[in-house]
Amino acid sequence: MSVQPAMPKSWRVDTKPHKFCPGCGHGLVLKALGQAIDELGIQDRAVFGCDIGCSLLAWDFFNVDTIQTHHGRTTPVITGLKRANPNLIGIAYMGDGGGYAIGSQHLVNAAARNEKITVILVNNTQYGMTGGQMAPTTLPGQKTETSPYGRDPEKTGYPTQGPEMVAAITREGAYVARGTVANLRQLKNYLKKALENQMAGNGFSFVEVLSACPTNWRTNAEETWKMVEEEMPKYFKVGEIKVPGGQKEGEANG
Amino acid sequence: MRCISGRIVEAYIGEYASGKSEVAVNRALLLAARGRRVNLVDLDIVEPCYTLRPLKKKLAEMGINVVAWETREMMGLGETGSIFYPANRWALRFPGDVILDIGYGVEGAKTLNLVEGAATDPDLKIFAVVNIGRPMTGSVQEIVEYVRSLGRVDGLINNSHLGDETTVEFVQDGARMVDEAARQLGVPVVATTVLEELARVIGTRDAAGHPVWPIKRFMPHALW
Amino acid sequence: MPDKPIEGEKRVFMTGNEVVAWAALAAGAEIMYGYPITPQNEIMHYWTRLAPRYGREFLQTEDELSAGFTTCGGVLAGRKAFTATAGPGNTLMQEPMSMAEAMRLPTVVVIQQRGGPSTATVIYSQQEVTMTTLGGNGEGLRIVYSTANHQELFDYTIKAFNTAWKYRFPTFILGDGYQAKMRESLTIYDPDIRGIELVQAEPFLGKPGVPGVDRPPTQLRNTYNVEEELYEVLEGYFKDYEKIAPEVAEHEAFGLEDAELVVVSHGVVSRACKAAVKELREEGVRVGYFRPITLRPLPVKALRETAEKVGKFLVVESAQGQLARLLKEAAFGCPVEMLELFKPGVGITAEDVVSRVKEITG
Repeated sequence: MSVQPAMPKSWRVDTKPHKFCPGCGHGLVLKALGQAIDELGIQDRAVFGCDIGCSLLAWDFFNVDTIQTHHGRTTPVITGLKRANPNLIGIAYMGDGGGYAIGSQHLVNAAARNEKITVILVNNTQYGMTGGQMAPTTLPGQKTETSPYGRDPEKTGYPTQGPEMVAAITREGAYVARGTVANLRQLKNYLKKALENQMAGNGFSFVEVLSACPTNWRTNAEETWKMVEEEMPKYFKVGEIKVPGGQKEGEANG
Repeated sequence: MRCISGRIVEAYIGEYASGKSEVAVNRALLLAARGRRVNLVDLDIVEPCYTLRPLKKKLAEMGINVVAWETREMMGLGETGSIFYPANRWALRFPGDVILDIGYGVEGAKTLNLVEGAATDPDLKIFAVVNIGRPMTGSVQEIVEYVRSLGRVDGLINNSHLGDETTVEFVQDGARMVDEAARQLGVPVVATTVLEELARVIGTRDAAGHPVWPIKRFMPHALW
Repeated sequence: MPDKPIEGEKRVFMTGNEVVAWAALAAGAEIMYGYPITPQNEIMHYWTRLAPRYGREFLQTEDELSAGFTTCGGVLAGRKAFTATAGPGNTLMQEPMSMAEAMRLPTVVVIQQRGGPSTATVIYSQQEVTMTTLGGNGEGLRIVYSTANHQELFDYTIKAFNTAWKYRFPTFILGDGYQAKMRESLTIYDPDIRGIELVQAEPFLGKPGVPGVDRPPTQLRNTYNVEEELYEVLEGYFKDYEKIAPEVAEHEAFGLEDAELVVVSHGVVSRACKAAVKELREEGVRVGYFRPITLRPLPVKALRETAEKVGKFLVVESAQGQLARLLKEAAFGCPVEMLELFKPGVGITAEDVVSRVKEITG
């Protein structure tokens, strides 16, 4: 194993290499999450829940107890688990379809109730596993299997501003941020803060991650990176949006 | 019909399924039988399907002005929620006696706030109906705690029964417990209500010396 | 904090929904997740009144999908968790219970049936039999008790938690709006004094030790890569289910020895049928009574024996043949004629049953 020094301790070695596509952002997000789990020393009490969509490929990713649920339903499963045993650290991992479309009512209400769980939502602007359909996060003009002429915001709306919404409906104590696979140090930092927020019992924590799907975008490495670093941030602002006791708190809650 | 004495205004409150509606209906009938003009007001907004509505016609035939929705007048009871019958707001302005059947619920007695003049009506008496067969009012201590949670209460009614299995002993146990609870609460016991058959055995006073009001069962017909 | 919700035993007068709340307490249920829908609301009302006194928890969720999935989460954490719903809520409940089936999660769900399809009435029906026994995109790997009175609501709610945790299949109590709201007396008791041993819950996730170091991680999924993989899992489940079915199945019957016609019903309707059959037998009519208590699994052996012996079943239900369909499957090949008295969404009285029997027997 000495040739893989970068692999987090909490990763499950025997299921690697993982099954995500080459260039997929999931591996990077899960690496940052693995490092955060390692640094916080919570491998023994973290429970990882994954959704339907590409996120379910993470069902055997960690040496962490894991439950793979239905599309959009990871939030309530982890909520129920955390309510039943508050000592566990509940992590709900999902895509943009799961969090912002089919499971949006769960995200909204878990946030509004300030559930002491951590939701990590990977935004790759479309439905990966079902074959590249339009998602709530698809960029205007972006072509997908269900927006073959490009997303027309007049007909289908603009990209969902998830963290901004979560920040608006949570109270003091919540942690909300948007990270990107283009900045893993920052992303790990956000994920760690999110988990720490749960460990401290402060409230809901939510991190959206701008990620890449070269397979469905049909992009080469250079184009993929351009999408993540340049196109997506035009609609999705990277940074911390709400920090407990932080200076943004007053602005966010008005 | 004319009034033969001062106006009687009574509100019946109490724990879910304690027999509020049963007592209220019987009380209204008793007063009507004395030739009084009686308004029976259904203020159960928590569980609107289970109250006086199905009995409306029958009671009206017996000379009582029933102020309640008729089941078929309403759509989706329990689904559309608790719809307050508009006329109920003015119940205390109706000429004659007024018997108010108040639903249960957390702070159910607050339902009276929805009735104009309830706070200042000089004749209004609020009676809590207690059945010791109900698990949350099964002991003196529980009765006291429960009645305290209701807010203003002017008297207790012992309506202890076990449905078809009710015995005289059970009713009398209730009479003694309600009497003790009333003593601790500093309110009077108004009566023990009991089915006519058993009332004949018990007589006019219960084991604690309070009046016995014989009642008939109406509520089984009110199921929804 | 008092240790036991019920000391010894006690004769009480209650509504059915309250009975469920008390029974769940007595059964050691630790957390309820729920969403309001008539006619089950008082289960939540009473649970929320009682739970804090005994250190139990409640979460009001955003809908029944969430109520079902949080219940799954509670069970995964090793707690006796339950929920209650009805009608359109039961429809939504099928998605989480399908996951419970797939992962053998011992969830307990109380259904108080109301009129359907759609929102219909909040009052009463027996129209949720098909959905509760066979709902979801699955194979009906669940256990369904259909109760008829308040005593049974109490007894079987306690039993449901034991059955669920013993056999690890999602378990349902199938009541209805009448049972929910009706008032009658019953004996509530501490299961201990009746010699009922409560099956202990245990966590699926978050057991002691560091996963991958002290123990392998527990990783549960309901998604499979290939058909054969799924098939193998399901084969195992079917085998388990078939094995436990005779242990779990329950029924009650009388008058079968000389019956030429057997009245078959379940739930609250069986009360009317029982009274009708007794009355008819007193008049000398050769009629019997059969009532499956478990609708899933059905008491197939007893049912087939009865069907073999008796030429006619009169199936009585407040639905358009939902029980009858289950019976026809169970009795397939038996020389029995299935007659019917169906009143979907409407109550059935003993008089209704007596006159239908007389119409048949002439």
